Amino acid sequence: MARKAVKSKSKSRKSRSKRTSRQKPGLFRRLFRLLMLLAGLAIGIGVPWTVWLDIQVRGEFEGRIWDVPSRVYARPLSLYSGKPVSKSSLLLELKASGYRQVTNASVPGTYSVNGSQFDINRRAFIFEDGSKPATRFRLQLRSGSVGDLVAVSGSEDPGLVRLDPAEIASIYPLHDEDRTLVALKDAPELLVTGLQAVEDRQFKHHHGVAFRSIARAFVANIRAGKAVQGGSTLTQQLVKNYFLNSERTLVRKANEAIMAVLLELHYDKAQILEAYVNEVYLGQQGKHAIHGFGRASEFYFDRSLQDLEPQHIALLVGLVRGASLYNPRRNPERALKRRNQVLDIFEVTGLLTENEVKKAKGRPLGVTSKPRSGGSRYPAFVDLVRRQLKRDYQSSDLSSEGLKIFTTLAPSEQEYAQQAVSKGLDDLKQRGLPADLQSAIVLADVASGEVRALVSDRVAGRTGFNRALDARRQIGSVIKPLVYLLALEHVDDYNLITPVKDEPLSLRQPDGKLWSPENYDHKSHGELPLMDALVHSYNQATVQVGLSVGVANLIRKIKQLGIAVEVPAVPSTLLGAVELTPIEVAQMFQSLAAGGYSVPLRSVTAVLTPQGELLSRYPLRFMPLENREAIALLNFALTRVVEEGTAQALHGLLGNNTVIAGKTGTTNERRDSWFVGYTRDRVAVSWVGLDDNRPASVTGANAAMRIWARLFRSLPIEGLDLRMPDGANFVWVDKQQQALTDPSCPGAEQIPFIEGSEPQKKTQCLKNQKGKNKESLWRKWFGRKD
Amino acid sequence: MEKVVWTKRLGACPRLLVVLIPLLLAACAGQPPAKVDDDEIDTRVRAPASEDSAGVQVYSLQNPAVKELTAQAVVAERAGELDKASGYLERALRIEPRDPQLLQQMAEIKLQTADYQQALSFAERSYDIGPRVGEICSRNWRTISVAKEHLDDASGANDAEKRATRCMNTRPKRY
Repeated sequence: MARKAVKSKSKSRKSRSKRTSRQKPGLFRRLFRLLMLLAGLAIGIGVPWTVWLDIQVRGEFEGRIWDVPSRVYARPLSLYSGKPVSKSSLLLELKASGYRQVTNASVPGTYSVNGSQFDINRRAFIFEDGSKPATRFRLQLRSGSVGDLVAVSGSEDPGLVRLDPAEIASIYPLHDEDRTLVALKDAPELLVTGLQAVEDRQFKHHHGVAFRSIARAFVANIRAGKAVQGGSTLTQQLVKNYFLNSERTLVRKANEAIMAVLLELHYDKAQILEAYVNEVYLGQQGKHAIHGFGRASEFYFDRSLQDLEPQHIALLVGLVRGASLYNPRRNPERALKRRNQVLDIFEVTGLLTENEVKKAKGRPLGVTSKPRSGGSRYPAFVDLVRRQLKRDYQSSDLSSEGLKIFTTLAPSEQEYAQQAVSKGLDDLKQRGLPADLQSAIVLADVASGEVRALVSDRVAGRTGFNRALDARRQIGSVIKPLVYLLALEHVDDYNLITPVKDEPLSLRQPDGKLWSPENYDHKSHGELPLMDALVHSYNQATVQVGLSVGVANLIRKIKQLGIAVEVPAVPSTLLGAVELTPIEVAQMFQSLAAGGYSVPLRSVTAVLTPQGELLSRYPLRFMPLENREAIALLNFALTRVVEEGTAQALHGLLGNNTVIAGKTGTTNERRDSWFVGYTRDRVAVSWVGLDDNRPASVTGANAAMRIWARLFRSLPIEGLDLRMPDGANFVWVDKQQQALTDPSCPGAEQIPFIEGSEPQKKTQCLKNQKGKNKESLWRKWFGRKD
Repeated sequence: MEKVVWTKRLGACPRLLVVLIPLLLAACAGQPPAKVDDDEIDTRVRAPASEDSAGVQVYSLQNPAVKELTAQAVVAERAGELDKASGYLERALRIEPRDPQLLQQMAEIKLQTADYQQALSFAERSYDIGPRVGEICSRNWRTISVAKEHLDDASGANDAEKRATRCMNTRPKRY
């Protein structure tokens, strides 16, 4: 109380002079307190803030630490006497494996060709099952296959030689982006010095932030009245790249500056520069960002960084300031200007001579018209590899550096498959089909389930929607073989010649509407043998048969064949109102093609450590299905689809009469075209349609089958083996009469039957024959179709 | 000195025994079924088949590459390197996917690695694709029999054993 009184008293009694003399210490003290408060805040907030930034930036830096990527290899090509291989496919394989054609193959990694005589110097390589030294050998191609293998060095002639496999990708199995790493020592010197010359001349001297540059830029910007210069160091740009954010607020800039200083505290110049070279944003491909000069070099020039010329390097360095702004494909003139500007800087800073710069300026941009994809020519297949690795391995296994991943891809077959799609779709366009059709192919070995080729786009190497793995489309008539398979398993009710009714029918759907399926020719064909209904893909007969075996059983069969997809339990499922992907269809039919021995389709065979030790192997395992006799019968019927049914144009397209089983598929309003076909050793599915699912005027035969045929024209193929398993036999019958007959009788055909389900009736012709020729009865009844 | 302490300890803690004994029993019970070793293959599959067949040999001609690989597989198998042997056979199968001898050889490897389901699969496929008579037929069915036995299908094993003897009807079926 007293104090207050004193205060008020002092206040009221204060003279000006007294007040001013007292204000100074008060003001000073307040200022001081304010400063202390600010300092306290600065430390209290600033220190933890800086620590947090430190953790962030180090996390980013080390998180991207350049693990050696894992290398992905195609399957090695085996060469041995008798191996069917064409000259063009051998050349493709040599090229894919990086072999150079020379006149004298004296160095590993080279080969020479003289007509059909090859002299190959195979490199040393650590294969899946051990390492092999370099070896040189000769072979002659004779009528589509390899003659004898002859050793060149005087050692024993090899019975079997493998080419070292093509390296098809470098991946980080745990990340989704592909990177092409460049070690600083491997980067071209012009790039390293050029970057500093253009972006950060003080790089060697500053500690993260260059105040001189900032000041200079500040002045330049004020003079120009707008932002014309950046004062950021390479370190700051690196930080900016980590947290790519287009906001250029003061707070952001301050954060970046602090983080840049912190980076310089932790890491040396070489590390930072190397990180920068591999991190800086240089372009965009769809949803994939192009980071680092290694990738950018492939992306723009389809060359490795080491193969670039000065004008290329100048272009890339120029892109640092604005990858979209100076995009050489979108803005070639602006890109050229910027490149020349950079070349000038190179000259001014003494990195290139006047003459060199003049020469470089005279060169064109050199950018390829189509960008090469993420480090791999086969992005669809590599995508499958990634998915299977993720599915089958622990993250802890895959995070190891430099793994060697051996896959099943056959580069020559992949090439043929891609051509089949690209050229096939162009051809379809000529025939009046939509110009923007898309397609997918899955090609696999029947016996092992190994995927030899995967195509997902009409444009080779384009990364995007992986149609072979992800395009979920109605399969239409491709489901029918499964319906008939079920019927054939009901041995008491159905065999291949059991009469079925192809007649109009109407079913009431759960929603009250009537469903009245029609055949593609809008006709009904009355009563006919079961086999014929499948061969001609009649809808009405299929629904009849399907209803009798039960939609629920069909759904169970789909699961049994390895496809875990939710399928609606409605009658339209019988006609393929089921959505599957091409690889799922391939999986289903692999089992049938292998005569009932199901193998999961796979793309990886083994993973080795960088030292070449086996980390893990995917062994061959299959699962025998029940009712393999019914499958054998079905396969026979599917060869008839190709002989005389909806796929009868196939032999003409192939140019030969090889026994092939196949099924066409067309969906409602011709939105999808499917063809699945198999020979003795290979199964392939092709799909054609429009991405937006609008009607495309495609049928199974006019689109997908043509593309399938294009592929198989280039492959060595063996006809399907129609030998029946125990429990089924070929029998001479008359289809129409449903009776046993003699081979010499009219209408006689050899058709397989499960033992006990053959017709018992005999044709009159047979009865007459029987009288004549008793001895050869055994022969006639159980003769084999050769 | 230690021993004394130990026994003293043991004497002092009968609970230890109560814990140990069940553990030991559990360990015994949980042992994996005995693998089929190389000897058993010889006595139960290969020797009887070879005896039976005397005269009926139906072998496909093997190409030199397959010969080389199967020879390496045999060496690996004898050395007990079964995974390696599988690897060689798989390579051979990539070259000749429908060679019944390769498939049967693989079936026998699978028996030795206690992979009875796969032994069954490979033997069945070898039979389906093969001549269905002769020594290889006999090996197929004897393998199936051994595999089924280990899979606790006694009647199946019995049927397979009987089926093996029918392989010696010297006239191959003509279908």
